[in-house]
Amino acid sequence: MLVSKNKGTSLLRSSEKSSLLRFLALYFILVTMILLLLGIFYYQSQEKLMFSNQRTILSEYANRQVQALKQLHNDFPHRTIYPRSIKYRSAIYDIEGEKIFSLLKHDNIRFDKEIYRVGNSIHFLKTLDDYYLGAKYLFIEVDEDKAWYKETMSNILAFGTLTLIVLIIFGLFFVSIFLRPMRNSIVLLDNFIKDTTHELNTPISAILANVEMMDTSLMSEKNQKRLSRINIAAKTVSHLYQDLTYLTLSHNRKSKDEWIDMKQLIEDRVEYFAILAGAKKITFELDLKESAIFIDGIKIARVLDNLISNAIKYNKRNGKIFITLRKNYLQVKDTGIGIKSKKVNEIFERYTRFNSSEGGFGIGLNIVKSIIDEYDLQISVESIVDVGTTIRIDFTKGTLDG
Amino acid sequence: MVKKILLIGTICTLFLGADEDKNVYERNCIPCHRYAPASLEKLFMVYLKTYSGELSLKGALKAFLKNPTEADSLMNNTFIENFSVKDKTTLTDEELDEAIDTYWELYDVRKKLK
Repeated sequence: MLVSKNKGTSLLRSSEKSSLLRFLALYFILVTMILLLLGIFYYQSQEKLMFSNQRTILSEYANRQVQALKQLHNDFPHRTIYPRSIKYRSAIYDIEGEKIFSLLKHDNIRFDKEIYRVGNSIHFLKTLDDYYLGAKYLFIEVDEDKAWYKETMSNILAFGTLTLIVLIIFGLFFVSIFLRPMRNSIVLLDNFIKDTTHELNTPISAILANVEMMDTSLMSEKNQKRLSRINIAAKTVSHLYQDLTYLTLSHNRKSKDEWIDMKQLIEDRVEYFAILAGAKKITFELDLKESAIFIDGIKIARVLDNLISNAIKYNKRNGKIFITLRKNYLQVKDTGIGIKSKKVNEIFERYTRFNSSEGGFGIGLNIVKSIIDEYDLQISVESIVDVGTTIRIDFTKGTLDG
Repeated sequence: MVKKILLIGTICTLFLGADEDKNVYERNCIPCHRYAPASLEKLFMVYLKTYSGELSLKGALKAFLKNPTEADSLMNNTFIENFSVKDKTTLTDEELDEAIDTYWELYDVRKKLK
């Protein structure tokens, strides 16, 4: 199987970006809501101002209409022509809200407001003391002058946009201030790990090489056990060293992608970890079919090592590790302590550990994720507390081999 | 003589028949108000100016006709001093409703405004 590379994956940057984006999104929503609210208040105040200006004129029209209605009432039924004006339109409604006569363009009137906008018109309501022609409510309607509306909206848009831009610039500035300590601490930790890594290589290699070379047949059983413990401890440190080397140096190293026989690789790594697993009386159950993927050998070895070492580290005594390999996927299942469902999404974060009682820096799965992302593979985690964890890697995005 | 009796009989029958064709309003309201100083139409406009809506006007008018009092009368004091308050109606509720409905339909301004 051939898998495509996705270069330039940097988890430090991506976590920063994700925090930055989350903060900015929240900040943007908050700022927009505040500006929207201010815009609404400004719009309402402008509308009130316009109503206040209109009220005087409309009130004058209403008084004039009342006089005309009074005249008509007294002359009724000899005169039946409803009084009209070119400056306004009017309507009269009785005490029960029933229409008596209307010249309004918009008949959707309101009895609860003195002045309001409807369509392109303004309605003014006057309540009569004497019900001439039975009218308790008199509505005066005039066409609305839209100038105030256009001015208000353009003000809201202009000031709103300007303020939004300024506040976003402030937001970016604040984010950079907030992120600085986090970035500094990560850089400090990375530098520390980088420096100590260089000092680990030679002694670890010397210990491992000498342990392998020792002739155990001449040793007593007690000493053999002690040597085995030294071997386990040295391999644990070696594994950590491999992770740290990968983390600090591998990004500068050019990948050497080649066809990797996954079955062979898994068998090699299981053998390597056999002593470690044996110390906790953990047994491997392998179900491997032939599969090959086009990938950097060191990187896929880091993936496997981390999955297997975690399966050992977080397993129970006398537990089992099931490794399944098929053409399109690899699955590592343990019978360990498991992870709480809400914590599953966090396990790929750097310096996150399942359980603080276990050793390690919490970088193993972070490395796995970075390699998985680099090669566009798919990883999924299923875990049940006290039952175990299953991690599956799908090679689906690659091109099938032959 | 017989002819005269027949003629009077026919005229009486015609008058009685014509009276039966009239509705409650025409039979019970118009005859008295025909001679009253305030016409029924003017009275309607006074009621309309005071009570505004159809239901309010009809309700107030019915209550007044069933129990006319000086306090509830819409006529001015001079009118009441000269003509006093009218007598209680002798019509039943149904007849009163019918008469008031006819009165409203007759003078409703909505149908007349142009």
